[in-house]
Amino acid sequence: MSEKSRGFLRDNALSLAFGAVFLATLGGQALSGVADFNAQQVADGLDPISLGEYLTSSSFGVDVMENWQSEYLQFFLYIFATVWLVQRGSSESKKPGEEGTESDKEQRVGRFADDDSPEWARRGGWRTAVFSRSLGLLMGGLFLLTWAASAVAGWAAYNSDQLGQLEDPVGFLGYLAAPDFWNRSFQNWQSEMLAVGSMAVFSVYLRQRGSPESKLVGTAHAETGQTG
Amino acid sequence: MNGARAVFWLYLVVILVGVAYAIALGLMGR
Repeated sequence: MSEKSRGFLRDNALSLAFGAVFLATLGGQALSGVADFNAQQVADGLDPISLGEYLTSSSFGVDVMENWQSEYLQFFLYIFATVWLVQRGSSESKKPGEEGTESDKEQRVGRFADDDSPEWARRGGWRTAVFSRSLGLLMGGLFLLTWAASAVAGWAAYNSDQLGQLEDPVGFLGYLAAPDFWNRSFQNWQSEMLAVGSMAVFSVYLRQRGSPESKLVGTAHAETGQTG
Repeated sequence: MNGARAVFWLYLVVILVGVAYAIALGLMGR
């Protein structure tokens, strides 16, 4: 790294700020979630529960996990799709003609690595193969984990509802075939696909001065992948 | 690279703890 370090907080401000807002909004979800849950309990003629009981309920668990899984699916798909697909003029895209995984020279891999390249970029073999895909592998792995967690927690929450309404609980495989599971999944997926697609194409014609997610303000609309 | 590695692992641990917690709640049938 050639950039001069300016202290832990400023060097990591983006990650730390989003981490802090994540915790605050998760707290907001917990408080509004228990209020909503209790409104339903009262409507069903059941006893309200405490915040502590809500935070240790699968109802809270599935509401958190169904949103996490869609975010990691979004990033996983975007990371892979942008290897192979371009959007001419988008700050989010490679230039047309650069589709694919590119050459070792372009990617500074193996004998083309720099002195300060990561060890696994230089080593070759399976290490470089894994490291070359590590971001997508982690995002894809987190999608599968969080989606599985949303299924397990959703199953328990669904059965809890069923029992509250004096209906039969379902087995785990039965839940995987239930509309509840797929409705939770699809309603989160559709919003991610819309947001990603719109970001890719809106960034062709619109700018945000100073943001690396945008092209430079004066960049031509037709120019692709030029970040500010 | 002042501490970025620590933030990296903090994020990963928080995510995995969240996943494990949600799975545990589900398996316990809470």
